[in-house]
Amino acid sequence: MRKVTINPDEIILFQWAWFKVNATIFFTWLVMFLLTFGSWLVTRNLTSRGTLSRWQNLLEVLVNGINDQIREVSRQDPGPYLAFVGTLFIFIATSNIIAVVPGYTPPTSSLSTTAALAICVFIAVPVFGIARRGLGNYLRQYVQPTYIMLPFNVIGELSRTLALAVRLYGNMMSGTVIVAILLTITPLIFPVVMQVLGLLTGLIQAYIFAILAMVYIASASRAHESLENKGEK
Amino acid sequence: MIIDWYTIIFQIINFMVLVFLLRHFLYGPIIEAMDEREDKIVQREEDAALRKREAMEESRAYRRKAEELQERRDEIMEKARVDAEEKKREMLREARSDLQRTKELWEEDFERERDTFVRELRRRIGEGACAIARRCLSDLADVYLEELTWAQFLAELGSLSEESLGRFRDAVVSSDYAITLRSVFGVEETALDELAAKLRELLPEVGEQIRLTAEVDPDLICGLELESGGHRVGWSIDDYLDGLEERILREMHEWTTGAEVPDDGGTEE
Repeated sequence: MRKVTINPDEIILFQWAWFKVNATIFFTWLVMFLLTFGSWLVTRNLTSRGTLSRWQNLLEVLVNGINDQIREVSRQDPGPYLAFVGTLFIFIATSNIIAVVPGYTPPTSSLSTTAALAICVFIAVPVFGIARRGLGNYLRQYVQPTYIMLPFNVIGELSRTLALAVRLYGNMMSGTVIVAILLTITPLIFPVVMQVLGLLTGLIQAYIFAILAMVYIASASRAHESLENKGEK
Repeated sequence: MIIDWYTIIFQIINFMVLVFLLRHFLYGPIIEAMDEREDKIVQREEDAALRKREAMEESRAYRRKAEELQERRDEIMEKARVDAEEKKREMLREARSDLQRTKELWEEDFERERDTFVRELRRRIGEGACAIARRCLSDLADVYLEELTWAQFLAELGSLSEESLGRFRDAVVSSDYAITLRSVFGVEETALDELAAKLRELLPEVGEQIRLTAEVDPDLICGLELESGGHRVGWSIDDYLDGLEERILREMHEWTTGAEVPDDGGTEE
């Protein structure tokens, strides 16, 4: 049986001493470049009056949609979370959508990437929590309702990070793998349908990842608020 | 190995960089533009609300004004009616006074014309009568009117009352003894001497100082007159003509009033 390379980390494109550029990093850079350059193209001549350009309209709808989602989930001002959560969504969604381009391997199909994003969320949750509620208040939530719960809370924190990473990786990797397998069984038409399904899955995964991240961040601050409110009463 | 720590660290850095880039190139400008537009919309709505309020105020003010005007309309109309009536009366008064003035002028003119006409008529009648008398006398009796007139004049002088003579004497003295003889025809020297003698006879107190001069006066028509210091003594056809003139004037008056009455009534109205 032929071995199918499904981990883009293993495809080394360039190496110099310890510095190497694998497919994951390369395609991440590509997505980063596309996003940054596209944003720059549109936002360099924004207008706040008269008719909006089509692209400005698209970006406004996108940013506004993300803002609304954040507000809905967190019931807070979306301002501080927009950059982080929004970038998670846009990056994952773009990475997944471009997967229809032949020769492109989405960076999200690498567990390293999804793990990196999950670690970012893992770090962001306490960062936002502490920034909002203060260190003492944030740490106190790990011993709620009693000190016995401390290990379970910590495990819960870690496990949900792991789940976040594996969920995205599993979905994206499976999409790629399924297409690869189908190509060997039914090389015509069917893989196209799977690709379309992959687009949908990719967008849903991006949405799920961003929303979950937001939920974790929001719960980190909201939990304290409700506790504090109870204490005050 | 499914997890590559090298890649993970690289990807974390990549993600951080992407967050920074997108914050700078995407979220910042877009949010700013949206906020700006929102502010502008709010501003416009506030402006519109303000303008609407102003317009409402203005419309209320206009409505109030219109109501006031409506209320004052009757008053204004009444005043205008009174003013118009007053103006009409004034114009009528002016027209009447103009008419009166014109009428008076016309009447003055008429009087003047009539006087001129009557005087002329009287003169001509006198002349005509004299001419006929002169001719009749000359043709039928072989005597001259002038001679008869002169003789009659002297006779009249002689028959003057003492009172008349006294008054004439006083006038002669006051005019420094100058006496003027007026006649329609020229008087000869001999006749003058005769008159002077007669005067000396009649006025013995002043007779010697008298300075007699003769003057021709066509208005006298037929007759003679002595004048001194504004006092006159004489005889002419005038006395006869006075009666005739009176009759002519009466007839003219009857004729004019008879023709003018309806006209006067018309213009008065």
